[in-house]
Amino acid sequence: MSASFSLPRIRTLAMATVTQLLRMKIMAFLLVFCVIVVAAGFAFPVMNPEQQLKLLKDVSLGALQLFSIVIAVCATALLLPRDLEDRTLYTILAKPVPRHEYLLGKLLGVLILIGAGLVLMDIAFSGVLWLRQSLVLAQSVAALQQEGTATPEAVAQLKEFVGRQGLTWNLHLGVVAIFFKAAVVTALTLMISCFASSTLFTIIIAFLVTILGHGQGLIRDYFLTGHAGVVKKLLSALLAVVTPDMGVFDVVDNVINGETVTPGAFGFMAAIACTYLAGYAVVSHLLFVEKEL
Amino acid sequence: MSAESPQPPAVTVENLTKVFKAGLGKAAFTAVRDLSLTVNDGEVYGLIGPNGCGKSTTMKAILGLVTPTSGRTAVFGRPSTRVESRSEVGFLPENPYFYKHLNGLETLLFYGRLCSMSGKELKDRAREMLALTGLEDAADRRVAGYSKGMLQRLGLAQALLHRPRLVVLDEPTAGVDPAGSRKIRDLILGFKEQGITVLVTSHLLEQMQEVCDRVGIMAHGRMVREGRLDELIAVENETELVLADASPELLAEIRALVESRGHGARVVRSGHPRTTLEKLFLEVADQ
Amino acid sequence: MKRSLQALAVLLLLGIAKMPLEQAATREFRATGLLSEPMDLGMRENLSQMGFAAALGGLRSLVATITYLQAYHEWENVNWAKVDSLLQLTTSLQPGYANYWDDASWQMAYNAASYYLYDEKLQPMVRGRLYEEHVRRGIAILKEGLRYLPDEARLWNSLAEIYERRSHEPELAAQAYLEVFRISRNNRYRRFAAYQYAQSARPEFWSKAYDILHEAYQDPRQRTPSLIDTLKTLEDKLGIPTMKRIPDARRSMEVAPTELGPIR
Repeated sequence: MSASFSLPRIRTLAMATVTQLLRMKIMAFLLVFCVIVVAAGFAFPVMNPEQQLKLLKDVSLGALQLFSIVIAVCATALLLPRDLEDRTLYTILAKPVPRHEYLLGKLLGVLILIGAGLVLMDIAFSGVLWLRQSLVLAQSVAALQQEGTATPEAVAQLKEFVGRQGLTWNLHLGVVAIFFKAAVVTALTLMISCFASSTLFTIIIAFLVTILGHGQGLIRDYFLTGHAGVVKKLLSALLAVVTPDMGVFDVVDNVINGETVTPGAFGFMAAIACTYLAGYAVVSHLLFVEKEL
Repeated sequence: MSAESPQPPAVTVENLTKVFKAGLGKAAFTAVRDLSLTVNDGEVYGLIGPNGCGKSTTMKAILGLVTPTSGRTAVFGRPSTRVESRSEVGFLPENPYFYKHLNGLETLLFYGRLCSMSGKELKDRAREMLALTGLEDAADRRVAGYSKGMLQRLGLAQALLHRPRLVVLDEPTAGVDPAGSRKIRDLILGFKEQGITVLVTSHLLEQMQEVCDRVGIMAHGRMVREGRLDELIAVENETELVLADASPELLAEIRALVESRGHGARVVRSGHPRTTLEKLFLEVADQ
Repeated sequence: MKRSLQALAVLLLLGIAKMPLEQAATREFRATGLLSEPMDLGMRENLSQMGFAAALGGLRSLVATITYLQAYHEWENVNWAKVDSLLQLTTSLQPGYANYWDDASWQMAYNAASYYLYDEKLQPMVRGRLYEEHVRRGIAILKEGLRYLPDEARLWNSLAEIYERRSHEPELAAQAYLEVFRISRNNRYRRFAAYQYAQSARPEFWSKAYDILHEAYQDPRQRTPSLIDTLKTLEDKLGIPTMKRIPDARRSMEVAPTELGPIR
């Protein structure tokens, strides 16, 4: 095993991966996303303003999650088989490129793509939310003025209330949590594709593990505190060991609701994501380093 | 062995055996069996044999793309399992394919960066390689639109980019039209002049005959014959005599002479020598 | 082969090493409200497969929004049972979101209850019964919500209003208003509580009301017409000596401008 580590080489491979994925028209999803956000922002005017802002946040951040997970699984699952099929992998690995650098380049490429996609979508979403919230505020203030109760205190209170429901820094931290989750799923999928025999197999297993990972909190509780039989306990223990806990990153649901992501919580999530990235990268390398091409 | 000599051979393969494990319930497949060969610095070595005889697996082992089940392979004395062994090798795989979204120049820049080249040096070298392989006009076109022959030449350019001392070519002319094929042949001859070692596989024997110094013939994963090309193909007990504008009378006289004073010699055949179809095609195409 | 065994070993080690980390994170995040309590598995019966999977997959908020919209749709169809069960699902998906509890109880205690009260196809007895039942349901929903959000002034206020206007239980309304005061420190809710105590049929609550209002009276800004009226009534009811009574002239004093909303 060579310990060489060339950042420019990894960057070259990562950027090639990004352009390769961009060419697959993956970013068309961004357009769809914008349509969804605008629709969610303005489609249900009958509800009360607070609920409208919540709906906009729910739908947008839901779409964001979906985008990041689907790209993480599908794009990553495609990478190795495609390079192998096109024999591009031969020409790359016949150069003095260690296999771990190739893997890291691919991983980094997908992460850059997902990160950039999330940033763009976050900007679009923030724009619409800000617009919507200004509109809601203007309407409420107008209503107050009509009632003749628009005192400066009342307007300030209203502003504060709508502001809490609207755009906050916290929402962006929620988006970062979504990115952490997607990063774990990406590393997981890359690891699976290192031993999988087909793209379909990789995609199915990656989604399965991701879904199981979301129920891991339940599985772990069951195995730590449940009253189940030995076989059931062993099975749930194995599942808890093998699958990552995706639920840890699901703070965005409550962030929508106004809960704050503390620096401690943020650090916790970052640490867990990094642990998985490192662990899965090592396993991927071990599986890939002697793979017959 | 020769690895201990001051100038190690370009390629060393010692007792290489490669067994591919099959899925459950299927028998394992032995692609290469106890194969040994040496390619000396500066020569053109041809590895020939029918499809599936283990040529490609041998090449992949030399390039470290597959791990030998037993035996060892080395490039300029460095074991193939190590990444450094590939710093002086250029490889052209069979029917190469590149990232569709890049154009010719970008493709070369990509591979150059993988070889730790950069900046102006890389750009100049890439342009030089495009010129060498006749792809200057296609430099800005996306690879997706390249013909098979162009892809093959781009593959060559990519293989030569980092000035390797050894190039490994797997079926370089497969699926390429005769003109393109000839261009590739000329390039290989050019390498030889520059002192670049070439290891080439093909099942098109005629072409191999034109470029190779030495050949090895493989079948069923084993080396069947190996040696200098001229020695391998010379028919020792026959002599060729080619005449121009000979009259039938002269030919009859020669025939009579052989029969009367030949001391056992006999005429095996006579007639008009045929040009090869390849030569004919090239002549017609050039007009 | 050796490598794949190594890979398996690393994977298992990672799995064992990460568990305490995840366990701790989950516990901490739940404690700080960043993560919700795990979903009740019984919820699967009410959610479609897709909905359950999505809710499990970190889209609980979105699924809740969808069930909430469905409830609105059923409201338009005047299908109260369905409205109730969908909103119950919504609140159990996101028990930390006060608006859902508030809406769910409003649908039952106001919309459904009034619908039945004025349904002329029903026997008068049945109407009263159904009205009563739905108001009770609205109260139950709020109480359930307050188990999750004991410091949500808005829910206490809604509860107080239902006791005041729908079920006419002034003592309970008063208690709920006092909770609003406890959280918001807005004196208005203390006065509201006192007005409710004053409405009680039981004299022991009158003095509670009197104490609160009399104390509020000391602050000139709180001397609203309602306060003065109620205080006067209570003075009569409790037989307060003339010496201690508030002067008559102040009875319809102007309100301080900082007080918002209906003047009470």
